[in-house]
Amino acid sequence: MLLLGIDVGSTTCKYVLTDKEGNILDKAYERHNTKQAEKVLEFLLRLENKHGFKAGRDRVYITGSGGGFVGDLIGARFVQEVVAVATAVEKLHPDVRFVSEIGGEDMKTIFIKEKDGRKNKQVYMQNVCAGGTGTFIEKIGRKLGIDMDALSKMGYEGYTLYRVSSKCGIFAEADVNSLIKAGVSTEEIMASLFDAVVYQNLSQLTKGNIPLPKVLLLGGPNLFYRGLQEAWRVHLQRLWKERGVGDFSKEEMEELVIVPENSLYYASLGCVFTALEENDGIYKGYEKLLWWIEEGQYEQKLKEGKRGLVASVEELESFKRNYSYVVENKIIPKRVKEVIIGCDFGSTTAKAVCITPDKEIVFSCYSLSKGNPIEDAKEIFRQIKEYLQDGKVLALGITGYGKDLLKDILGADVGIVETVAHATAGLHFFPDADCICDVGGVDVKIMILRQGSVVDFRLNSQCSSGNGAFLQGVAERFNIPLWEIADKAFSAKAMPSFTMGCGVFLQSDIVNQQRKGWKAEEILAGLCHVLPFNVWIYAGNINNLAQVGKKFILQGGTHRNLAVVKAQIDFIKARIPDAEIYVHPYSGEAGAIGAALVALEHYQKHGRSSFRGFEAIEKLSYRSITSKDTICNWCPINCQRSFIDVYIGEGEGRPWSKVPLEPGWVRIIFNNACPKGLVEDERELKVIKEKMERVKNEFPNIADFVKKEAFKRSTGQKVP
Amino acid sequence: MDSCYPVKALAGHMGELLNKDINLLFVPMIYSLPSFLRGHVLDTLSCTRVMMSVENIKAGFLKERDEFKERGISFVSPFVPFGEPELLPKYFWESLKHVIPNLTFEEVVRAVREGFKDLESFEREIRSKSLEIIKWCVKDQKSAILILARPYHMDPGIGHEIDAEFQPYGYPVLWYNYLPLEDWLLNWLFGKEIEEGIIKSPFDISDVWISSYSSNTNEIIWAAKFSARFPWITGVIRLSSYECGMDQPTFTPVQKIVESSGTLYFKFGELDETKPAGSIKIRVETIVYYLEKYSQDIIQRKLKRLGPIPKELL
Repeated sequence: MLLLGIDVGSTTCKYVLTDKEGNILDKAYERHNTKQAEKVLEFLLRLENKHGFKAGRDRVYITGSGGGFVGDLIGARFVQEVVAVATAVEKLHPDVRFVSEIGGEDMKTIFIKEKDGRKNKQVYMQNVCAGGTGTFIEKIGRKLGIDMDALSKMGYEGYTLYRVSSKCGIFAEADVNSLIKAGVSTEEIMASLFDAVVYQNLSQLTKGNIPLPKVLLLGGPNLFYRGLQEAWRVHLQRLWKERGVGDFSKEEMEELVIVPENSLYYASLGCVFTALEENDGIYKGYEKLLWWIEEGQYEQKLKEGKRGLVASVEELESFKRNYSYVVENKIIPKRVKEVIIGCDFGSTTAKAVCITPDKEIVFSCYSLSKGNPIEDAKEIFRQIKEYLQDGKVLALGITGYGKDLLKDILGADVGIVETVAHATAGLHFFPDADCICDVGGVDVKIMILRQGSVVDFRLNSQCSSGNGAFLQGVAERFNIPLWEIADKAFSAKAMPSFTMGCGVFLQSDIVNQQRKGWKAEEILAGLCHVLPFNVWIYAGNINNLAQVGKKFILQGGTHRNLAVVKAQIDFIKARIPDAEIYVHPYSGEAGAIGAALVALEHYQKHGRSSFRGFEAIEKLSYRSITSKDTICNWCPINCQRSFIDVYIGEGEGRPWSKVPLEPGWVRIIFNNACPKGLVEDERELKVIKEKMERVKNEFPNIADFVKKEAFKRSTGQKVP
Repeated sequence: MDSCYPVKALAGHMGELLNKDINLLFVPMIYSLPSFLRGHVLDTLSCTRVMMSVENIKAGFLKERDEFKERGISFVSPFVPFGEPELLPKYFWESLKHVIPNLTFEEVVRAVREGFKDLESFEREIRSKSLEIIKWCVKDQKSAILILARPYHMDPGIGHEIDAEFQPYGYPVLWYNYLPLEDWLLNWLFGKEIEEGIIKSPFDISDVWISSYSSNTNEIIWAAKFSARFPWITGVIRLSSYECGMDQPTFTPVQKIVESSGTLYFKFGELDETKPAGSIKIRVETIVYYLEKYSQDIIQRKLKRLGPIPKELL
């Protein structure tokens, strides 16, 4: 009799074949490229031919994330994967107290404690986010153009480490991008990445337990990447010293943190060991599995799938009648004598609109950012001048990136925060709206309104799931142009169901659905369908939509896609049947329109404007400095920033700066990766703090009195 | 059990103290709190999670080995009904007599008495500062911000110094637990409702909050009522830490109480679930814009509902 243990993982399949005493006869570890069932079939055929593995006589135990359904088809007994690993560890390494298994899309830790001769296991696992898993390492390795072989040999010790987000795979990519830009070597980036993975595992999956020696590292990534093993040893060495577990030398660490032989097969081995104890799991042959691969999975596709985004042609037509203005709407230039200008300086584009004192929108223009805000401003003001000719500018309002600095340089009357700009624009078209949902290319903003104010908002900053760029990226891979996404998605009669959540996993889910036979348009429909879930629940963390209100405004570039709008409407209506849902008529320009409206308010109150005029803006002289003195030192990434100094004739200058600035000049800092970099250095921070302290004394805070009084040292007099 | 961030911070705090040169760690399990609302509410209990956190955290330091014994530290965690001063000496004495040699019961009684004296004068001092701020607002026709939170949000690490962000924009900051309690002021704000029999006293919150057991929650609710009536508080900022079970049921009532008067209400919730660093600046700028825009209207609207401004405020 032969015993077979199969582990069907998220990226690979593994098996171990033993005789009835448990001696290993054969084993394999192979990638399945999302074809789990096919890989298992290949294994079974191979084992039948090579080792005479026989239905009705031999036994098979199965585990892993894909083990359940395959197991049912071949008569295997299913063992939960963590249980399988723990069984193997206990049998092979009685002295191990901590196990880390990192897989393709998951990570697990097992704490084994011994009390009164009895072993007690504590298991933690996470499989919802790619951060800290094998896919995460591979993705970055691919991006850096390192082949798998070289990647496995890269080290950890001795390299300078940089901060890489371990939280989200897509954000880690952004961090890596800025490291590449800063000229950091691939070796150092990978070392930093190994550091991030170990950190992620220790911070997420220990939950207050201290990993104790001996430690076992299992799974593909832990075996293949030398750097990862080194990172584990360095982290654990430090941790053990800190916690008083022991002060171990490097050699001792090699003994205490081990990657065993067969490290890849522990789950499969656990299956075999379980089989040795039991009498279950008689192999039924591969016929049913073969049937499932050839026919069954396509039948399942239809069963599992949802109906398409629209049920009928009539539904689609009536939807389009109501919402097609979203695509067709354009601002048509109209000559007028007086305008109020609103500008929105985004990180990728600068946009401007002109409105009349009666709030009619009469012009819009934009410029793709050239990475220099002054040049961007000049470019859009040139366009406005050309349109306006000898018309008069009554007021200027700006919003977006750098609004505080550009305000003085352009002579804007108001510089307003983007939430207010969007809300003002939304409320202008749809008074009493309760919520604005803005889905742009790379970000999601949800603003909740009450009493004419933005009382709460969510900006997607944790994770990139739910944005429009993702949808666009998938469409591009299918060679579907942007403007055809909606119609393609509507043409699908059925669509696969995707799970909301991490963008990295969504990518592999797509491959999986394709394999099941879903076509490009059906997948796009499925992605549009899941987008609202990602926007509201996953990114926005709003579980009770009804609490938000009834009147919704959808805006932002992604809502120009009608299929997304349809999915949004269905999503909202399913939760709030009497919801009113509008798409902002000028989705992309909402920020600029809001800025103009606030500037108009200002003008009506004060009757004058500090706008510098087109000529002055065109003539703005500036000098741009990029040197070692402009490098940001707030964190180890050390962004190479640039300073643009503009002469405007007023302002205090920056006499304390490394790059001193005379009075009359103002400075714009750019090419910084995060908001911290907008402050030059400690010296500027000191100036800002001093200024703040002065104001704080003028406008007191009760908390300051409390802190002072409550922690005042007693005078030391003895209680009578 | 997944506890709230402030409780987690206490674990860190105790861990840090263990590495200092100390021989006694005194961490009381505070069961109830003194409050100016005592007698007007059902009770003034402290949060059970916070109270029990002492035992939970202690267990953490004993889990792998006895961290206290190793360092020769005595751990004392008496049960403390802080809201009932007359009971305190007994509990302190019982827990401390074994670890402080020669301590007499008399000494404990005196220490408690002096402690309460100090606490009272401290409170008086702070409330008088709030009154000063309020008078300044009336004189300059400016508005102030009120923070509705828990006392620990004054800690910069837990409250993220969100309150301080409003000062540079010209808004003095009042806290819910130190509002002025002068009779003439409360009569001006609540007198009419007492006359009409809606409430029994200015401190009665039974019109909006029935299960008034929690000391801090009661004070939050009362301060919400105060802010809804007091004209020069035009914006209320609510702070709440991740997983605060005590705050959960109060969110909607407090929002409704504040907003029913037209006062602006903003919440910074689940403070520690995600680091709010990036978004605080945007949030504050957003709030300041609306305060700037609506404050004067709000002051006038609220003044209309009240009788003539008391002479003490002018």
